[in-house]
Amino acid sequence: MSPSSSESLVPAALSKEGTDRLILQWKDGHRSVYTWKHLRDQCPCAGCREERLQPPDPFRILKPNELVPLAPVSMTPVGHYAYKITWSDGHDTGIYTFETLRELCQCAECVQKGKRMEKSS
Amino acid sequence: MEMQNIHSIIAVASGKGGVGKSTVAVNLALALQMQGQRVALLDADIYGPSIPIMLGVPRVDPQTTQFPLDRYGLKLMSMGFLVNPTQAVIWRGPMVDKYLRQFLLAIPWGELDTMVIDLPPGTGDAQLTLTQALRLSGAVIVTTPQEVSLIDARKGLEMFRQVRVPVLGIVENMSYFIAEDGKRYEIFRHGGGQKLAKDAGVPFLGEIPIDPRVAECGDQGDPIVHKYPDSPIAKAYVALSKTITQELEKTSQVPELPSL
Repeated sequence: MSPSSSESLVPAALSKEGTDRLILQWKDGHRSVYTWKHLRDQCPCAGCREERLQPPDPFRILKPNELVPLAPVSMTPVGHYAYKITWSDGHDTGIYTFETLRELCQCAECVQKGKRMEKSS
Repeated sequence: MEMQNIHSIIAVASGKGGVGKSTVAVNLALALQMQGQRVALLDADIYGPSIPIMLGVPRVDPQTTQFPLDRYGLKLMSMGFLVNPTQAVIWRGPMVDKYLRQFLLAIPWGELDTMVIDLPPGTGDAQLTLTQALRLSGAVIVTTPQEVSLIDARKGLEMFRQVRVPVLGIVENMSYFIAEDGKRYEIFRHGGGQKLAKDAGVPFLGEIPIDPRVAECGDQGDPIVHKYPDSPIAKAYVALSKTITQELEKTSQVPELPSL
């Protein structure tokens, strides 16, 4: 199913699968799967976006909070339109809109579709 | 969280400044109260609070005062209660966010039927804080009839669409003027609000006429709905409050979102 900004694009249930995955059941019937790592790598906050635009620094020194395994602490709604994820390292500025979450979906169907779109473009 | 005892939270917004948002917010709050509701009015305009003057409430000593304040039976909070009116609040966005969150979440509002929030113009920090920290029941967009105001009202509409706050509808303020001879003058043109509502597919909530007494009452701290409850304009506000209550009932089935 394609990401849309329709009103049906609303989460119905959230659950953890094992330690590394999030399952998001949508009202329109779609079932999204994500690794937490993918969600963190794509964090939409201004700081993380800026960091992704920079070329990788080979001499970067890890901060102490980057040495512990990353885990989500909570995932709570923001108003009517988004979610905030609080991470074990204290990071909590990313606001994931429903549209963003749908675009980041890693279920087999969405991944296939993403590949097809890449080929055709 | 304290806000759970508040049945509906309505934001009064516009893209543009000077269209009469605060006047509409104050008189709407009083009109809702005349329907028997328990109502609070929160002034979210940190830089240019108008509620203190419009309701005749001066600055207080925050050390010894328990908020919210009370005037004409409305529960109130405004930045204007905390700072001298001649002093400017010169802050960057994060401070606006911090204070607004405190106004919303740290003040014991108690049980309320409706909280009316008077937003500043634009689509910036105050709007973001309110749409993120709260689940607003709906937004009322105030505009004046002319195109220059409508352009900005469209931006306000687009903001609420993006953050999925239901738009209860559009109010056209300063819609017309009835002179002493009974003749109707459309000073700022007419019908723009209705057209905007039609284009955006949201309800048109009504027209509020121009009446010089509105400004007079606002400056004296006794809003027209309270001072002249039988005036045509007060009746327009009562009609508006009823329409808004009906619209709220239609949109109130917004389900809770799951958490993890």
